[in-house]
Amino acid sequence: MALYEHIFLARQDVSAQQVEELTTALTEILTNNGGKVTKNEYWGVKTLSYRIRKNRKAHYSLLNIDAPHTAVAEMERQMRINEDILRFLTIRVDELEEGPSAMMQKRDRDDRDGDRGGRPDRGDRFGGERRPRRF
Amino acid sequence: MAIRDLTTSQARRPFQRRRKTCPFSGPNAPKIDYKDVRLLQRYVSERGKIVPSRITAVSALKQRELAQAIKRARFIGIMPYAVN
Repeated sequence: MALYEHIFLARQDVSAQQVEELTTALTEILTNNGGKVTKNEYWGVKTLSYRIRKNRKAHYSLLNIDAPHTAVAEMERQMRINEDILRFLTIRVDELEEGPSAMMQKRDRDDRDGDRGGRPDRGDRFGGERRPRRF
Repeated sequence: MAIRDLTTSQARRPFQRRRKTCPFSGPNAPKIDYKDVRLLQRYVSERGKIVPSRITAVSALKQRELAQAIKRARFIGIMPYAVN
């Protein structure tokens, strides 16, 4: 079976509990079609960078899936019908991430960032729309 | 490359910068992940555009990977397509 990372965005005026129900419903679809969900992460309500279907915020959830393609296709079909789901992204990966994803461990990353050297130097010099090549 | 190596070996001239290396190559390099906004944020301009690799010194291979990750992050709404 193939491994997938799946992220979906639910409408902001849906409650966190409803999102949870949604996740269990999706998990059920997958298990009924011979797959399984190895990890389930709820990122909470996050502000979107741009408006999606007139929403400024959305509930984010991540699922790590080990399922045949048909199961995933069926789940995606149902997600498209559901109006509470704004958007979803399924990516096939070679191996699933263990433990919390980058999004969840953001807090501890803050202090680690300092000794890593931070941003690449001169990255900020790229500002203009059309400027001559530097080198 | 060779020319630059020569110049650095001489008495260090002003305005001659050390050759930068790819931040995603070598040991303990960060893994490019579309969910890692903090990492990706460093490689987009203030306007939200992807910064060319000639400025960030990311290798061609990693730049492709990075661009893919940024585009994915944009799609799921955690990064902007454009900032006004």
